[in-house]
Amino acid sequence: MEGCVFNVQKYSVHDGPGIRTIVFLKGCPLHCKWCCNPESQLAKPQIAYNPEKCIGDVCMLCAQVCPQKNMSLLDTNKVWINHQNCIHCLACAKACPAKAISLYGEHHNAQYFIDKVEEDSIFYSRSEGGLTLSGGEPTMQTEFAIELLKDAKERGITTAIETCGAIPWEKCHEVYDYLDYIHFDIKHLNSEKHKEWTGQGNEVILDTFRKMREAHPNTPCVARTPIIPGFNDTEEDIIAIRDFVKQFPNTTYEVLRYHRYGSTKYEFIGRDYPLGTEDLDGDLFNHLKEISLQ
Amino acid sequence: MTQPIQCCYSPHEQHIMDAAAGDTNYKKGRERIYKILDRNQNLKPVIDAERAKYFTESMAQTEGEHLTLRWAKAMMNIAKNITVYVEEDNLLAGRIGCQGRYGILYPELDGDIFEEAIKLLPTRVTSPFNMTQETVDTILNDIAPYWDAKTGRGKTFFNDLYDALPEDTLKVTYEPSEKSTSRFIVNETASFRSSNQWVPDYEKVLKRGFKGLKEEAQAKLAALDPFDPLDNVNQKPFYEAIVILCDAIVLWANRYADLYEKEAEKEADPVRKQEMVDIAARCRWVPENPARDFREALQSQWFTQLFSRLEQKTGTIVSNGRMDQYLYPFYKADKEAGKLTDEQAMELLECMWVAMAQFIDLYMSVTGGAFNEGYAHWEAVTIGGQTPQGQDATNELTYLFLRSKQEFPLHYPDLAARIHARSPQRYIEECAKTVKEGSGFPKLLNDEEIVLQLVSNGATIEEAFDYAVSGCAEARMPNRDTFTSGGVYINFASAIEMMMYNGRTFKTGDELLGLETGEVETFKTWDDVWNAYVAQARNLLRHAFIQQKNIDRLREKHFAAPLLSAMHDLCMKEGLDLHTEFIPGGVDIGYFESMGFGTVVDSLAAIKKLVFDEKVTTLVEIREAMKANFEGYEVLRQRLLNAPKYGNNDPYADEIGKACDLVCSEFTDKYSKSLGIEYCLRYVPFTSHVPFGKVVGATPNGRVAYFPLSDGSSASHGCDTHGPTAVLLSNYHTKNPGFHDRAARLLNIKFDPSTVAGEEGTKKLASFIRTWCDLKLWHVQFNVINKETLVAAQQDPDRYRGLIVRIAGYSAYFCDLSPALQDDLIARTQQTTI
Repeated sequence: MEGCVFNVQKYSVHDGPGIRTIVFLKGCPLHCKWCCNPESQLAKPQIAYNPEKCIGDVCMLCAQVCPQKNMSLLDTNKVWINHQNCIHCLACAKACPAKAISLYGEHHNAQYFIDKVEEDSIFYSRSEGGLTLSGGEPTMQTEFAIELLKDAKERGITTAIETCGAIPWEKCHEVYDYLDYIHFDIKHLNSEKHKEWTGQGNEVILDTFRKMREAHPNTPCVARTPIIPGFNDTEEDIIAIRDFVKQFPNTTYEVLRYHRYGSTKYEFIGRDYPLGTEDLDGDLFNHLKEISLQ
Repeated sequence: MTQPIQCCYSPHEQHIMDAAAGDTNYKKGRERIYKILDRNQNLKPVIDAERAKYFTESMAQTEGEHLTLRWAKAMMNIAKNITVYVEEDNLLAGRIGCQGRYGILYPELDGDIFEEAIKLLPTRVTSPFNMTQETVDTILNDIAPYWDAKTGRGKTFFNDLYDALPEDTLKVTYEPSEKSTSRFIVNETASFRSSNQWVPDYEKVLKRGFKGLKEEAQAKLAALDPFDPLDNVNQKPFYEAIVILCDAIVLWANRYADLYEKEAEKEADPVRKQEMVDIAARCRWVPENPARDFREALQSQWFTQLFSRLEQKTGTIVSNGRMDQYLYPFYKADKEAGKLTDEQAMELLECMWVAMAQFIDLYMSVTGGAFNEGYAHWEAVTIGGQTPQGQDATNELTYLFLRSKQEFPLHYPDLAARIHARSPQRYIEECAKTVKEGSGFPKLLNDEEIVLQLVSNGATIEEAFDYAVSGCAEARMPNRDTFTSGGVYINFASAIEMMMYNGRTFKTGDELLGLETGEVETFKTWDDVWNAYVAQARNLLRHAFIQQKNIDRLREKHFAAPLLSAMHDLCMKEGLDLHTEFIPGGVDIGYFESMGFGTVVDSLAAIKKLVFDEKVTTLVEIREAMKANFEGYEVLRQRLLNAPKYGNNDPYADEIGKACDLVCSEFTDKYSKSLGIEYCLRYVPFTSHVPFGKVVGATPNGRVAYFPLSDGSSASHGCDTHGPTAVLLSNYHTKNPGFHDRAARLLNIKFDPSTVAGEEGTKKLASFIRTWCDLKLWHVQFNVINKETLVAAQQDPDRYRGLIVRIAGYSAYFCDLSPALQDDLIARTQQTTI
């Protein structure tokens, strides 16, 4: 079967052991306001437009191919795209010579992507690295995720996942049979607040987490919380998650610092960045980090 | 969710910031070293003409004699007359020019252009020099006339070579109007240095002293057959030269002993007085006699390398060899005897580094200057690696060199770490830490590739295991290597132009420089394009090999090196100068350089993809776009820029790269035999990819006219978009390992500091180095990019297109980020570090 992937990122060294390749699967049940990969949310391919690369009036090939007539030229000599009217035919991305319009998302079978992952196998063997599935929510394309992991395992590549957990255990449990490391986000223990900021309550997430730890108590797991100003940046929030996580064996807890580096990509796909300009105070983060480790 | 970028400053950067803020805490424990460094580091270099004067004076008196003997007599004249100086604060004695930063002259190389060059030197943009009126007078009256091309008696090597080259080779070598200016198409490097990079066997001097070498030469003299004409004409003057040379360096060292004894008497500070008395005693003993402790060993080595710098202009400065090996017995014995602490050992080594930093490798010619912009120097100090028996060679002194570089990240000396499959993890991690902390040092060289290559070219495995890094990225076996000619640099981007313009280039217009392979209108298939490129490339190779043969043949008539010959087993055995074209038993490994590899591969890949696969453009349109420097062809240029590129582990480009490499490999496999050497394909540009780019018009990879070529075996600027693992794999996939005539591929990798931050970052960098070793790539050096780089990238994005800011879950080109986000990143960097 084929799955939809928007990026295969080599030499990833921040998430999981060693030098890893991350395969980003498209589609996510949550819509977190701070999401740093907004292009991951839609479950099918879409265009992204970076005006910095656009060469303007000397080209206009995109306008020639767009069936919706979504392109117009601004005074800055950059194309403007009406993303709201886009039917995702992707013709403009194929026509753009400057790659100002590019494609987020490609359909291929598992072997295609694992071939790419395997290219770096000589680095994994020295660094204990391997494949990491991320997204979007990788377990949403459940069957495809299983195929990717199985194929990797057959080629001697270790596996990890970054998941938001918001897929019912009954649907996604088989994915965890093929994982060596698990990164599992727990964003808030208050379901209402969770819903307000991510679009869904936390019931499914906590249930999946519990059942996952029971089914795979020996697989090392890192529970993670991105600290978002105004959402979960209090001591109580972090203590509550920390103490919840502590009950499970082989499970460590880590907080991640909020950043706004994804904001450019909102512009690329024609969306407004949902959060304001507020940044996370560095001292506060360090304080919460200390608490998380207690 | 992702980790935010973290940035860390190297100690070097920290020192600069601390110093600006008035904080000198970083100097603690290194007061002596910083005193010497601070006194000198910002001075504009000055030319000292003494060496040239005494050299010329002697050469004028010895015409007609055996060249090595003449050279030894000239060295004796220098040793007797050159000014000796006290090194303030330093624990080592010896310098070969005036106080401050200085460069010296080698008129045997370019004395015929001195008159012109000294007018330009004080104001030239790259690497300027000052000089006193007295120096100017000395140059004009005592030096230049003897080497004048028309009226002087000392014909320089360059003029001899110029006269020897056939007309069609000359045409691609020098500008027709400016005889000594390179055309940067087929570029010789033998006329601005008298030898390719070199490393002598210092251990021999430490163990036996010049007294021992002199006795060896005397024994050889005594054993000559007094009736044999060859012995009389060749060997006798050679060994006599060695005797004179050994006397010369000992005499020179004793002048230092005399000076320090005399000056010590005047010294008021009792501590310094004692230091000077001790220095005098050491100069009295070494390098004449074997060194007895670590301090004597260092002093002996320093005198020897200085004398070598006086003897000749070795390309990229004479190297220092395997210092952690030959110094180790002295270090170990002194430490066990309680005579030396690690801090004292580092201070002594750093005394040498700050003394080295005062000697500037001066290039009088425009071409030499362009190859070595910014007072470049590569006096490689080798550490680590394997013993001649193949055991791991790291020792406590190895780690001390790395510690010194971490704590005192001066760019002298050029530190080179040998890595092999069984290098201890501690060593790899200390190298990784030093890369992070310092300014890109050490560069790494790979035993797993180099030992194999040296053995396949005729060395014994013991000799190969004992190689020393020499110059930029080369490996030398100090008693087996005998080839010293500078190699030819070939601009293959010009071959691309010649393929597109029917044998011509954009800059030179109608002049036919290459072969007439036909106008592009006649090319119907990809094979037609490829065959035309290969014909042009082979034509440049042909001229390169013609140049090299003439260079090899003529050099021994112009240059001699009695010091380096005295330190070489084979020279002493055969009674032949190291500059001799062929020395029996020698392994002759030379190099020719492929320039603009990435530019060429990307150009060919773009043509193949767009003209023949996708058929969205034509060769004619590409040629017209090149002529217009892409003005009016912006859409086409974007297509070219976005075609497959070398450096991304993309088989489409890499297979073309491998084929380009094969063109050179097959050529040298066939014609090395005629040269009589192993003429190895190399990818090491120094800084010359910039001047080579200045003669090449727009190229089919979308590169605009006169922009620098890609450097070494690195990708074109900003074209390696798939991270450092892809860079290594592309390098690997474009090699032809079945051929043995291959040498260094220079590989620069930039890292964002966040990817190597902390202890975990060190471990991941170490594992990256392990994989580089597994891939058997020759060389790698790292740049860990800091805030300054980000600022520079913001101001000049074209030069920093490839700079990746990598955050897990989101990675982007720094230059693709909005200005505001760039500012954000820069600001955050400051917050997390100060």
